[in-house]
Amino acid sequence: MTGVWWQQVMGAESVATRDGMPSVRVPAERWLELANAAANAGYARFLDLTVVDEPSDPARFQVLLTLYSFAARGWLRLRTRTPGPLASVTSLFAAANWYEREAFDLFGVHFDGHPDLTRILLPDDYPSHPLRADHPLGDEPIDFTVTREVDSQW
Amino acid sequence: MVEAPDTSQPEARRELLRINLGPQHPSTHGVLRLELELDGETIVSCRPIIGYLHTGIEKSMAARSWLHAIAMTDRLDYLNPLGNNLAFALAVEKLFDCVIPERAVIARLLLAELTRINSHLVWVGTNALDLGALSVFLYTFRERELLLDLFEEMSGARMMTSFIRPGGLAADLPDGWMQRCKQVLDALPKYVDEYEALLTRNPLFRERTIGVGKLSAGDAIAAGVSGPLLRASGIAHDLRKAHPYCGYEQFEFRVPTATAGDCYARYEVRMAELRESIDLCQQALARMPGGPVRTPDRKVMPPLREEFQQSMEALIHHFKHYTEGLRPPAGEAYVPVESPRGELGFYVVSDGTGRPVRIHERAPSFANLQALPAMAKGMLIADLIAIISTVDPVLGEVDR
Repeated sequence: MTGVWWQQVMGAESVATRDGMPSVRVPAERWLELANAAANAGYARFLDLTVVDEPSDPARFQVLLTLYSFAARGWLRLRTRTPGPLASVTSLFAAANWYEREAFDLFGVHFDGHPDLTRILLPDDYPSHPLRADHPLGDEPIDFTVTREVDSQW
Repeated sequence: MVEAPDTSQPEARRELLRINLGPQHPSTHGVLRLELELDGETIVSCRPIIGYLHTGIEKSMAARSWLHAIAMTDRLDYLNPLGNNLAFALAVEKLFDCVIPERAVIARLLLAELTRINSHLVWVGTNALDLGALSVFLYTFRERELLLDLFEEMSGARMMTSFIRPGGLAADLPDGWMQRCKQVLDALPKYVDEYEALLTRNPLFRERTIGVGKLSAGDAIAAGVSGPLLRASGIAHDLRKAHPYCGYEQFEFRVPTATAGDCYARYEVRMAELRESIDLCQQALARMPGGPVRTPDRKVMPPLREEFQQSMEALIHHFKHYTEGLRPPAGEAYVPVESPRGELGFYVVSDGTGRPVRIHERAPSFANLQALPAMAKGMLIADLIAIISTVDPVLGEVDR
Protein backbone atom coordinates (compact mmCIF):
# COMPACT_ATOMS: atom_id res chain seq x y z
CA MET A 1 0.00 0.00 0.00
CA THR A 2 2.54 2.61 -1.05
CA GLY A 3 1.62 5.96 -2.42
CA VAL A 4 -1.74 6.16 -0.71
CA TRP A 5 -2.64 9.68 0.16
CA TRP A 6 -2.35 9.50 3.89
CA GLN A 7 1.25 8.41 3.61
CA GLN A 8 1.99 11.39 1.41
CA VAL A 9 -0.10 13.91 3.29
CA MET A 10 0.38 12.70 6.79
CA GLY A 11 3.67 10.89 6.68
CA ALA A 12 1.76 8.36 8.71
CA GLU A 13 1.75 4.60 8.73
CA SER A 14 -1.29 2.42 8.40
CA VAL A 15 -1.78 -0.14 11.14
CA ALA A 16 -2.92 -3.59 10.12
CA THR A 17 -6.30 -4.44 11.60
CA ARG A 18 -8.35 -7.55 11.13
CA ASP A 19 -11.26 -5.76 9.51
CA GLY A 20 -9.06 -4.49 6.68
CA MET A 21 -10.03 -0.86 7.21
CA PRO A 22 -7.22 1.62 6.72
CA SER A 23 -6.20 2.64 10.18
CA VAL A 24 -3.71 5.46 10.36
CA ARG A 25 -1.62 6.31 13.39
CA VAL A 26 -1.07 10.04 13.80
CA PRO A 27 0.83 12.03 16.43
CA ALA A 28 -1.41 13.62 19.06
CA GLU A 29 -0.13 17.14 18.38
CA ARG A 30 -1.18 16.86 14.71
CA TRP A 31 -4.60 15.32 15.47
CA LEU A 32 -6.73 18.24 14.34
CA GLU A 33 -4.53 19.08 11.37
CA LEU A 34 -4.59 15.54 10.00
CA ALA A 35 -8.29 15.06 10.70
CA ASN A 36 -8.76 18.14 8.58
CA ALA A 37 -6.56 16.63 5.86
CA ALA A 38 -8.70 13.49 5.93
CA ALA A 39 -11.89 15.56 5.67
CA ASN A 40 -10.43 17.46 2.72
CA ALA A 41 -9.52 14.16 1.06
CA GLY A 42 -13.20 13.17 1.09
CA TYR A 43 -13.47 11.45 4.45
CA ALA A 44 -15.86 14.14 5.62
CA ARG A 45 -18.60 12.05 7.20
CA PHE A 46 -18.03 11.54 10.90
CA LEU A 47 -19.14 8.16 12.17
CA ASP A 48 -17.56 7.37 15.47
CA LEU A 49 -15.08 8.45 18.08
CA THR A 50 -14.07 6.21 20.91
CA VAL A 51 -11.26 5.52 23.32
CA VAL A 52 -9.36 2.42 24.36
CA ASP A 53 -7.59 2.77 27.67
CA GLU A 54 -4.26 1.06 28.30
CA PRO A 55 -3.02 2.22 31.71
CA SER A 56 0.37 0.51 31.29
CA ASP A 57 1.29 2.99 28.56
CA PRO A 58 2.32 6.52 29.65
CA ALA A 59 0.15 7.86 26.85
CA ARG A 60 -2.67 5.67 28.06
CA PHE A 61 -5.61 6.80 25.95
CA GLN A 62 -5.85 5.51 22.42
CA VAL A 63 -8.40 7.74 20.67
CA LEU A 64 -9.98 6.38 17.50
CA LEU A 65 -11.84 8.47 14.99
CA THR A 66 -13.84 6.69 12.28
CA LEU A 67 -14.69 8.60 9.12
CA TYR A 68 -16.46 7.62 5.92
CA SER A 69 -16.05 8.78 2.37
CA PHE A 70 -18.97 8.48 -0.06
CA ALA A 71 -16.62 9.05 -3.01
CA ALA A 72 -14.11 6.38 -2.01
CA ARG A 73 -16.87 4.17 -0.55
CA GLY A 74 -14.85 3.34 2.47
CA TRP A 75 -14.00 4.00 6.05
CA LEU A 76 -10.87 5.53 7.49
CA ARG A 77 -9.78 5.26 11.06
CA LEU A 78 -7.44 7.80 12.57
CA ARG A 79 -5.81 6.83 15.83
CA THR A 80 -3.59 8.56 18.28
CA ARG A 81 -2.20 8.06 21.74
CA THR A 82 -2.43 10.74 24.35
CA PRO A 83 -1.80 10.98 28.08
CA GLY A 84 -4.47 13.62 28.48
CA PRO A 85 -5.88 16.53 26.54
CA LEU A 86 -6.41 16.32 22.80
CA ALA A 87 -7.62 18.88 20.26
CA SER A 88 -11.35 18.67 19.64
CA VAL A 89 -12.49 17.85 16.10
CA THR A 90 -15.92 19.44 16.60
CA SER A 91 -14.84 22.39 14.45
CA LEU A 92 -14.53 19.93 11.53
CA PHE A 93 -17.30 17.48 12.37
CA ALA A 94 -20.27 18.85 14.28
CA ALA A 95 -21.37 15.28 14.97
CA ALA A 96 -18.27 14.70 17.09
CA ASN A 97 -19.83 16.84 19.81
CA TRP A 98 -21.64 14.10 21.71
CA TYR A 99 -18.93 11.54 21.05
CA GLU A 100 -16.24 13.72 22.61
CA ARG A 101 -18.53 14.43 25.54
CA GLU A 102 -18.98 10.70 25.98
CA ALA A 103 -15.20 10.10 25.83
CA PHE A 104 -14.75 12.85 28.42
CA ASP A 105 -17.51 11.46 30.60
CA LEU A 106 -16.43 7.83 30.61
CA PHE A 107 -12.65 8.13 30.18
CA GLY A 108 -11.82 11.62 31.41
CA VAL A 109 -10.10 12.62 28.16
CA HIS A 110 -10.26 16.40 27.72
CA PHE A 111 -10.87 17.85 24.28
CA ASP A 112 -9.50 21.36 23.89
CA GLY A 113 -11.79 23.64 21.96
CA HIS A 114 -14.98 21.62 22.51
CA PRO A 115 -17.93 24.02 22.85
CA ASP A 116 -19.61 22.23 25.76
CA LEU A 117 -17.42 19.58 27.35
CA THR A 118 -19.76 18.30 30.05
CA ARG A 119 -20.78 14.85 31.15
CA ILE A 120 -23.36 13.32 28.85
CA LEU A 121 -24.36 9.91 30.21
CA LEU A 122 -23.47 10.12 33.89
CA PRO A 123 -24.73 12.69 36.42
CA ASP A 124 -22.74 15.92 36.57
CA ASP A 125 -21.52 15.20 40.09
CA TYR A 126 -20.27 11.69 39.32
CA PRO A 127 -16.85 11.33 40.97
CA SER A 128 -14.91 9.27 38.42
CA HIS A 129 -14.56 8.07 34.83
CA PRO A 130 -15.81 4.49 34.94
CA LEU A 131 -14.69 3.15 31.56
CA ARG A 132 -11.02 3.52 32.45
CA ALA A 133 -9.42 0.11 32.59
CA ASP A 134 -8.23 0.55 36.18
CA HIS A 135 -11.65 1.63 37.41
CA PRO A 136 -13.21 -1.17 39.45
CA LEU A 137 -16.38 -2.70 38.09
CA GLY A 138 -18.25 -2.01 41.30
CA ASP A 139 -21.69 -3.05 42.33
CA GLU A 140 -24.56 -1.75 44.33
CA PRO A 141 -25.28 -3.49 47.61
CA ILE A 142 -28.83 -4.70 47.70
CA ASP A 143 -30.40 -3.27 50.80
CA PHE A 144 -32.99 -5.69 52.05
CA THR A 145 -35.22 -3.78 54.38
CA VAL A 146 -38.47 -4.61 56.02
CA THR A 147 -41.05 -2.33 54.51
CA ARG A 148 -44.10 -3.80 56.17
CA GLU A 149 -44.68 -5.45 59.50
CA VAL A 150 -46.04 -8.92 58.99
CA ASP A 151 -49.33 -9.21 60.75
CA SER A 152 -49.02 -11.93 63.38
CA GLN A 153 -52.68 -12.80 62.92
CA TRP A 154 -51.96 -14.27 59.48
CA MET B 1 -62.50 29.62 29.06
CA VAL B 2 -58.88 30.53 28.76
CA GLU B 3 -58.24 34.13 27.99
CA ALA B 4 -56.24 34.71 24.83
CA PRO B 5 -52.76 36.05 25.63
CA ASP B 6 -52.20 39.66 24.81
CA THR B 7 -49.74 39.64 21.92
CA SER B 8 -50.21 43.27 20.96
CA GLN B 9 -47.29 44.29 23.13
CA PRO B 10 -43.90 43.31 21.76
CA GLU B 11 -42.51 42.84 25.28
CA ALA B 12 -44.99 40.08 26.04
CA ARG B 13 -44.13 38.24 22.85
CA ARG B 14 -40.39 38.22 23.41
CA GLU B 15 -40.53 36.39 26.68
CA LEU B 16 -39.25 32.86 26.26
CA LEU B 17 -40.65 29.97 28.20
CA ARG B 18 -38.33 27.22 29.33
CA ILE B 19 -40.00 23.88 29.82
CA ASN B 20 -38.89 20.36 30.44
CA LEU B 21 -40.16 17.40 28.40
CA GLY B 22 -39.54 13.94 29.77
CA PRO B 23 -37.72 11.83 30.82
CA GLN B 24 -40.95 10.09 31.76
CA HIS B 25 -43.17 10.99 28.87
CA PRO B 26 -44.88 8.46 26.63
CA SER B 27 -43.87 10.19 23.42
CA THR B 28 -40.15 10.22 24.19
CA HIS B 29 -39.85 6.52 23.36
CA GLY B 30 -37.98 5.67 26.50
CA VAL B 31 -36.32 8.03 28.88
CA LEU B 32 -35.30 10.96 26.76
CA ARG B 33 -35.40 14.36 28.38
CA LEU B 34 -35.54 17.60 26.42
CA GLU B 35 -34.96 21.10 27.69
CA LEU B 36 -37.03 23.35 25.50
CA GLU B 37 -37.07 27.09 25.06
CA LEU B 38 -40.36 28.18 23.61
CA ASP B 39 -41.57 31.40 22.10
CA GLY B 40 -45.26 30.84 22.35
CA GLU B 41 -45.59 27.40 20.78
CA THR B 42 -42.50 27.77 18.61
CA ILE B 43 -39.33 25.97 19.59
CA VAL B 44 -36.40 28.35 19.91
CA SER B 45 -33.96 25.79 21.19
CA CYS B 46 -34.06 22.15 22.14
CA ARG B 47 -31.39 20.42 24.19
CA PRO B 48 -31.61 16.65 24.58
CA ILE B 49 -30.39 15.32 27.90
CA ILE B 50 -29.60 11.65 27.83
CA GLY B 51 -28.12 9.06 30.15
CA TYR B 52 -31.22 8.05 32.10
CA LEU B 53 -30.85 4.51 30.77
CA HIS B 54 -27.07 4.34 31.09
CA THR B 55 -26.17 0.91 32.41
CA GLY B 56 -22.43 0.90 31.77
CA ILE B 57 -22.98 -2.00 29.41
CA GLU B 58 -19.65 -1.46 27.61
CA LYS B 59 -17.87 -1.74 30.95
CA SER B 60 -19.84 -4.86 31.82
CA MET B 61 -18.99 -6.40 28.46
CA ALA B 62 -15.27 -5.81 28.96
CA ALA B 63 -15.42 -7.30 32.44
CA ARG B 64 -16.89 -10.62 31.37
CA SER B 65 -16.25 -13.20 28.67
CA TRP B 66 -16.98 -12.86 24.96
CA LEU B 67 -19.91 -15.26 25.34
CA HIS B 68 -21.50 -13.15 28.05
CA ALA B 69 -21.27 -10.12 25.82
CA ILE B 70 -23.67 -11.70 23.31
CA ALA B 71 -26.49 -11.64 25.83
CA MET B 72 -25.79 -7.97 26.51
CA THR B 73 -25.97 -7.01 22.84
CA ASP B 74 -29.67 -7.98 22.87
CA ARG B 75 -30.32 -5.32 25.44
CA LEU B 76 -28.75 -2.41 23.60
CA ASP B 77 -31.25 -1.85 20.82
CA TYR B 78 -34.06 -3.93 22.23
CA LEU B 79 -36.12 -3.63 19.07
CA ASN B 80 -33.33 -5.15 17.01
CA PRO B 81 -31.84 -7.92 19.15
CA LEU B 82 -30.98 -10.26 16.27
CA GLY B 83 -29.41 -7.42 14.30
CA ASN B 84 -27.24 -6.58 17.29
CA ASN B 85 -26.29 -10.24 17.71
CA LEU B 86 -25.35 -10.30 14.04
CA ALA B 87 -23.19 -7.16 14.19
CA PHE B 88 -21.36 -8.48 17.23
CA ALA B 89 -20.91 -11.95 15.76
CA LEU B 90 -19.50 -10.54 12.51
CA ALA B 91 -16.96 -8.45 14.43
CA VAL B 92 -15.81 -11.38 16.56
CA GLU B 93 -15.65 -13.61 13.48
CA LYS B 94 -13.34 -11.07 11.86
CA LEU B 95 -10.96 -11.61 14.77
CA PHE B 96 -11.10 -15.39 14.34
CA ASP B 97 -11.25 -15.24 10.55
CA CYS B 98 -13.53 -18.29 10.45
CA VAL B 99 -15.86 -19.54 7.72
CA ILE B 100 -19.60 -19.64 8.36
CA PRO B 101 -21.70 -22.38 6.72
CA GLU B 102 -24.01 -21.19 3.95
CA ARG B 103 -27.17 -22.16 5.79
CA ALA B 104 -26.18 -20.05 8.77
CA VAL B 105 -25.39 -17.07 6.52
CA ILE B 106 -28.79 -17.13 4.80
CA ALA B 107 -30.61 -17.82 8.07
CA ARG B 108 -28.84 -14.84 9.64
CA LEU B 109 -29.97 -12.61 6.80
CA LEU B 110 -33.52 -13.91 7.18
CA LEU B 111 -33.49 -13.27 10.93
CA ALA B 112 -31.96 -9.81 10.56
CA GLU B 113 -34.70 -8.88 8.08
CA LEU B 114 -37.46 -10.33 10.28
CA THR B 115 -36.14 -8.15 13.09
CA ARG B 116 -36.13 -5.15 10.78
CA ILE B 117 -39.80 -5.83 9.97
CA ASN B 118 -40.48 -6.21 13.68
CA SER B 119 -38.74 -2.93 14.48
CA HIS B 120 -40.46 -1.01 11.69
CA LEU B 121 -43.84 -2.41 12.79
CA VAL B 122 -43.25 -0.98 16.24
CA TRP B 123 -42.22 2.27 14.64
CA VAL B 124 -45.29 2.57 12.39
CA GLY B 125 -47.58 1.85 15.32
CA THR B 126 -45.95 4.15 17.84
CA ASN B 127 -45.47 6.93 15.32
CA ALA B 128 -49.18 6.90 14.52
CA LEU B 129 -49.93 6.66 18.23
CA ASP B 130 -47.85 9.76 18.94
CA LEU B 131 -49.80 11.63 16.29
CA GLY B 132 -53.12 10.54 17.74
CA ALA B 133 -54.03 7.64 15.43
CA LEU B 134 -54.53 5.02 18.10
CA SER B 135 -55.80 2.15 15.98
CA VAL B 136 -52.68 1.60 13.84
CA PHE B 137 -50.76 0.66 16.96
CA LEU B 138 -53.18 -2.17 17.68
CA TYR B 139 -52.82 -3.53 14.17
CA THR B 140 -49.02 -3.41 14.03
CA PHE B 141 -48.67 -5.02 17.44
CA ARG B 142 -51.02 -7.77 16.32
CA GLU B 143 -48.62 -8.61 13.48
CA ARG B 144 -45.60 -8.14 15.70
CA GLU B 145 -46.94 -10.94 17.87
CA LEU B 146 -46.68 -13.30 14.89
CA LEU B 147 -43.00 -12.45 14.51
CA LEU B 148 -42.30 -12.66 18.23
CA ASP B 149 -43.92 -16.10 18.25
CA LEU B 150 -41.47 -17.14 15.52
CA PHE B 151 -38.55 -15.82 17.55
CA GLU B 152 -39.82 -17.58 20.63
CA GLU B 153 -40.19 -20.88 18.85
CA MET B 154 -36.69 -20.59 17.41
CA SER B 155 -34.71 -19.29 20.39
CA GLY B 156 -36.93 -19.65 23.42
CA ALA B 157 -37.09 -15.90 23.90
CA ARG B 158 -39.41 -13.37 22.34
CA MET B 159 -37.05 -10.41 22.47
CA MET B 160 -33.70 -11.22 24.09
CA THR B 161 -32.84 -13.94 21.63
CA SER B 162 -29.00 -14.21 21.74
CA PHE B 163 -29.51 -16.57 18.80
CA ILE B 164 -26.89 -15.39 16.32
CA ARG B 165 -23.51 -16.16 17.85
CA PRO B 166 -19.93 -15.92 16.70
CA GLY B 167 -19.47 -18.95 14.48
CA GLY B 168 -23.05 -19.41 13.32
CA LEU B 169 -26.35 -19.87 15.06
CA ALA B 170 -27.08 -21.15 18.54
CA ALA B 171 -29.18 -23.95 17.03
CA ASP B 172 -30.75 -24.95 13.76
CA LEU B 173 -34.17 -23.58 12.89
CA PRO B 174 -36.82 -25.89 14.39
CA ASP B 175 -38.75 -28.35 12.22
CA GLY B 176 -41.62 -26.68 10.44
CA TRP B 177 -40.44 -23.22 11.45
CA MET B 178 -39.74 -22.17 7.88
CA GLN B 179 -43.29 -23.10 6.80
CA ARG B 180 -44.75 -21.08 9.65
CA CYS B 181 -42.43 -18.22 8.82
CA LYS B 182 -43.60 -18.37 5.21
CA GLN B 183 -47.25 -18.22 6.29
CA VAL B 184 -46.54 -15.09 8.32
CA LEU B 185 -44.61 -13.49 5.47
CA ASP B 186 -47.35 -14.34 2.95
CA ALA B 187 -49.87 -12.56 5.15
CA LEU B 188 -47.76 -9.50 5.91
CA PRO B 189 -48.07 -7.47 2.66
CA LYS B 190 -51.84 -7.40 3.10
CA TYR B 191 -51.39 -6.05 6.60
CA VAL B 192 -48.96 -3.39 5.39
CA ASP B 193 -51.67 -2.36 2.89
CA GLU B 194 -53.96 -1.90 5.88
CA TYR B 195 -51.54 0.44 7.63
CA GLU B 196 -51.06 2.37 4.43
CA ALA B 197 -54.82 2.64 4.01
CA LEU B 198 -55.00 4.16 7.46
CA LEU B 199 -52.10 6.58 7.12
CA THR B 200 -50.69 7.30 3.68
CA ARG B 201 -53.55 9.46 2.39
CA ASN B 202 -54.93 10.34 5.80
CA PRO B 203 -55.24 14.16 5.73
CA LEU B 204 -54.60 14.50 9.46
CA PHE B 205 -51.49 12.34 9.28
CA ARG B 206 -50.18 14.23 6.26
CA GLU B 207 -50.88 17.55 7.91
CA ARG B 208 -48.84 16.51 10.93
CA THR B 209 -45.87 15.15 8.99
CA ILE B 210 -45.41 16.87 5.62
CA GLY B 211 -42.88 19.68 5.88
CA VAL B 212 -42.23 18.90 9.53
CA GLY B 213 -38.73 18.35 10.88
CA LYS B 214 -36.86 18.86 7.65
CA LEU B 215 -33.28 17.71 7.42
CA SER B 216 -31.33 18.53 4.30
CA ALA B 217 -28.92 16.04 2.79
CA GLY B 218 -25.93 18.16 3.76
CA ASP B 219 -27.11 18.57 7.35
CA ALA B 220 -27.82 14.86 7.58
CA ILE B 221 -24.26 13.97 6.58
CA ALA B 222 -22.78 16.63 8.85
CA ALA B 223 -24.77 15.31 11.78
CA GLY B 224 -23.54 11.76 11.25
CA VAL B 225 -27.10 10.58 10.65
CA SER B 226 -27.62 7.16 9.07
CA GLY B 227 -30.36 4.71 8.17
CA PRO B 228 -33.88 5.68 7.06
CA LEU B 229 -33.30 9.21 8.34
CA LEU B 230 -30.44 9.67 5.89
CA ARG B 231 -32.28 7.99 3.02
CA ALA B 232 -35.34 10.19 3.59
CA SER B 233 -33.04 13.16 2.95
CA GLY B 234 -32.23 11.81 -0.49
CA ILE B 235 -29.00 9.89 0.07
CA ALA B 236 -29.27 6.32 -1.13
CA HIS B 237 -26.76 4.91 1.31
CA ASP B 238 -27.56 1.49 2.65
CA LEU B 239 -24.73 -0.71 3.92
CA ARG B 240 -26.55 -3.78 2.66
CA LYS B 241 -26.00 -2.44 -0.86
CA ALA B 242 -22.89 -0.29 -0.48
CA HIS B 243 -20.87 -2.79 1.55
CA PRO B 244 -22.73 -6.10 1.45
CA TYR B 245 -22.21 -8.48 4.32
CA CYS B 246 -23.88 -11.74 5.20
CA GLY B 247 -24.75 -12.57 1.58
CA TYR B 248 -26.83 -9.47 0.77
CA GLU B 249 -25.05 -9.20 -2.58
CA GLN B 250 -26.87 -12.37 -3.73
CA PHE B 251 -30.32 -10.89 -3.17
CA GLU B 252 -32.52 -8.57 -5.15
CA PHE B 253 -33.76 -5.54 -3.28
CA ARG B 254 -34.22 -1.82 -3.67
CA VAL B 255 -32.93 0.92 -1.39
CA PRO B 256 -35.97 3.16 -0.95
CA THR B 257 -35.25 6.86 -0.72
CA ALA B 258 -37.23 10.07 -0.54
CA THR B 259 -36.05 13.59 -1.11
CA ALA B 260 -38.21 15.79 1.09
CA GLY B 261 -36.29 15.00 4.29
CA ASP B 262 -39.39 15.59 6.42
CA CYS B 263 -41.35 13.32 8.73
CA TYR B 264 -43.57 12.10 5.90
CA ALA B 265 -40.52 11.18 3.80
CA ARG B 266 -39.24 9.07 6.69
CA TYR B 267 -42.62 7.38 6.86
CA GLU B 268 -42.48 6.63 3.13
CA VAL B 269 -38.96 5.24 3.37
CA ARG B 270 -39.76 2.99 6.31
CA MET B 271 -42.96 1.67 4.72
CA ALA B 272 -41.07 0.87 1.51
CA GLU B 273 -38.32 -0.80 3.54
CA LEU B 274 -40.95 -2.87 5.29
CA ARG B 275 -42.08 -4.26 1.93
CA GLU B 276 -38.50 -4.77 0.72
CA SER B 277 -37.67 -6.67 3.88
CA ILE B 278 -40.70 -8.93 3.51
CA ASP B 279 -39.53 -9.68 -0.02
CA LEU B 280 -35.96 -10.31 1.15
CA CYS B 281 -37.24 -12.77 3.73
CA GLN B 282 -39.25 -14.61 1.06
CA GLN B 283 -36.15 -14.87 -1.13
CA ALA B 284 -34.08 -16.11 1.81
CA LEU B 285 -36.67 -18.78 2.65
CA ALA B 286 -36.81 -19.88 -0.98
CA ARG B 287 -33.09 -20.41 -1.25
CA MET B 288 -32.32 -21.65 2.25
CA PRO B 289 -29.70 -24.36 1.81
CA GLY B 290 -29.32 -27.42 4.01
CA GLY B 291 -26.31 -28.31 6.08
CA PRO B 292 -24.88 -27.29 9.41
CA VAL B 293 -25.41 -23.91 11.07
CA ARG B 294 -22.18 -23.89 13.08
CA THR B 295 -18.68 -23.34 11.88
CA PRO B 296 -16.49 -26.45 12.10
CA ASP B 297 -13.85 -24.27 13.81
CA ARG B 298 -14.01 -25.63 17.35
CA LYS B 299 -12.23 -22.58 18.74
CA VAL B 300 -15.31 -20.54 17.87
CA MET B 301 -18.31 -22.81 18.26
CA PRO B 302 -18.75 -25.88 20.45
CA PRO B 303 -19.85 -29.14 18.80
CA LEU B 304 -23.46 -30.24 18.89
CA ARG B 305 -24.55 -32.41 21.76
CA GLU B 306 -25.08 -35.46 19.48
CA GLU B 307 -21.43 -35.26 18.53
CA PHE B 308 -19.82 -35.11 21.90
CA GLN B 309 -21.68 -38.14 23.11
CA GLN B 310 -19.55 -40.17 20.69
CA SER B 311 -16.30 -38.22 20.51
CA MET B 312 -13.89 -37.47 23.32
CA GLU B 313 -12.42 -34.49 21.44
CA ALA B 314 -15.87 -33.00 20.99
CA LEU B 315 -16.50 -33.32 24.71
CA ILE B 316 -13.19 -31.60 25.47
CA HIS B 317 -14.04 -28.78 23.07
CA HIS B 318 -17.43 -28.40 24.69
CA PHE B 319 -15.87 -28.26 28.13
CA LYS B 320 -13.20 -25.75 27.11
CA HIS B 321 -15.76 -23.59 25.34
CA TYR B 322 -18.03 -23.23 28.31
CA THR B 323 -15.35 -22.96 31.00
CA GLU B 324 -12.82 -20.72 29.28
CA GLY B 325 -15.03 -19.03 26.73
CA LEU B 326 -13.83 -17.67 23.42
CA ARG B 327 -10.24 -16.55 23.02
CA PRO B 328 -10.10 -14.49 19.84
CA PRO B 329 -6.59 -13.78 18.52
CA ALA B 330 -5.23 -10.37 19.49
CA GLY B 331 -6.43 -7.61 17.22
CA GLU B 332 -9.28 -5.25 16.61
CA ALA B 333 -12.21 -5.17 14.23
CA TYR B 334 -15.20 -3.02 13.37
CA VAL B 335 -17.88 -4.48 11.12
CA PRO B 336 -20.74 -2.13 10.37
CA VAL B 337 -24.18 -3.46 9.46
CA GLU B 338 -27.42 -1.74 8.50
CA SER B 339 -29.69 -1.86 11.51
CA PRO B 340 -33.31 -0.62 11.27
CA ARG B 341 -31.95 2.68 12.58
CA GLY B 342 -28.74 3.01 10.60
CA GLU B 343 -25.09 2.14 10.73
CA LEU B 344 -24.53 -0.18 13.66
CA GLY B 345 -21.15 -1.66 14.40
CA PHE B 346 -19.19 -3.10 17.25
CA TYR B 347 -15.60 -2.03 17.61
CA VAL B 348 -14.00 -4.97 19.42
CA VAL B 349 -10.45 -5.23 20.72
CA SER B 350 -8.96 -8.49 21.88
CA ASP B 351 -5.59 -9.12 23.49
CA GLY B 352 -5.78 -12.88 22.99
CA THR B 353 -7.10 -13.69 26.44
CA GLY B 354 -10.65 -14.69 27.23
CA ARG B 355 -11.63 -11.19 28.30
CA PRO B 356 -12.36 -8.42 25.80
CA VAL B 357 -10.17 -5.32 26.11
CA ARG B 358 -12.89 -3.10 24.76
CA ILE B 359 -16.26 -3.53 23.12
CA HIS B 360 -17.70 -0.29 21.83
CA GLU B 361 -20.97 0.02 20.01
CA ARG B 362 -21.35 2.60 17.28
CA ALA B 363 -25.03 3.16 17.98
CA PRO B 364 -27.07 4.70 15.16
CA SER B 365 -29.65 6.17 17.54
CA PHE B 366 -26.95 8.13 19.38
CA ALA B 367 -25.88 9.99 16.24
CA ASN B 368 -29.44 10.32 14.90
CA LEU B 369 -30.68 11.84 18.15
CA GLN B 370 -27.91 14.41 18.02
CA ALA B 371 -29.56 15.84 14.91
CA LEU B 372 -32.84 16.42 16.79
CA PRO B 373 -32.23 20.08 17.78
CA ALA B 374 -31.52 20.99 14.15
CA MET B 375 -34.78 19.38 13.03
CA ALA B 376 -36.87 20.83 15.86
CA LYS B 377 -35.74 24.43 15.63
CA GLY B 378 -38.53 26.77 14.53
CA MET B 379 -41.15 24.03 14.65
CA LEU B 380 -44.18 23.92 16.91
CA ILE B 381 -44.07 21.90 20.08
CA ALA B 382 -46.65 19.47 18.71
CA ASP B 383 -44.36 18.89 15.72
CA LEU B 384 -41.56 17.98 18.09
CA ILE B 385 -43.49 14.87 19.09
CA ALA B 386 -43.70 13.85 15.43
CA ILE B 387 -39.99 14.55 14.94
CA ILE B 388 -38.82 12.53 17.96
CA SER B 389 -40.97 9.70 16.73
CA THR B 390 -39.56 9.71 13.19
CA VAL B 391 -35.99 9.80 14.49
CA ASP B 392 -36.96 6.45 16.03
CA PRO B 393 -34.38 6.47 18.81
CA VAL B 394 -33.99 3.45 21.03
CA LEU B 395 -32.69 4.80 24.29
CA GLY B 396 -31.15 1.47 25.19
CA GLU B 397 -28.48 1.99 22.56
CA VAL B 398 -28.28 5.77 23.01
CA ASP B 399 -27.37 5.48 26.67
CA ARG B 400 -25.75 2.04 26.62
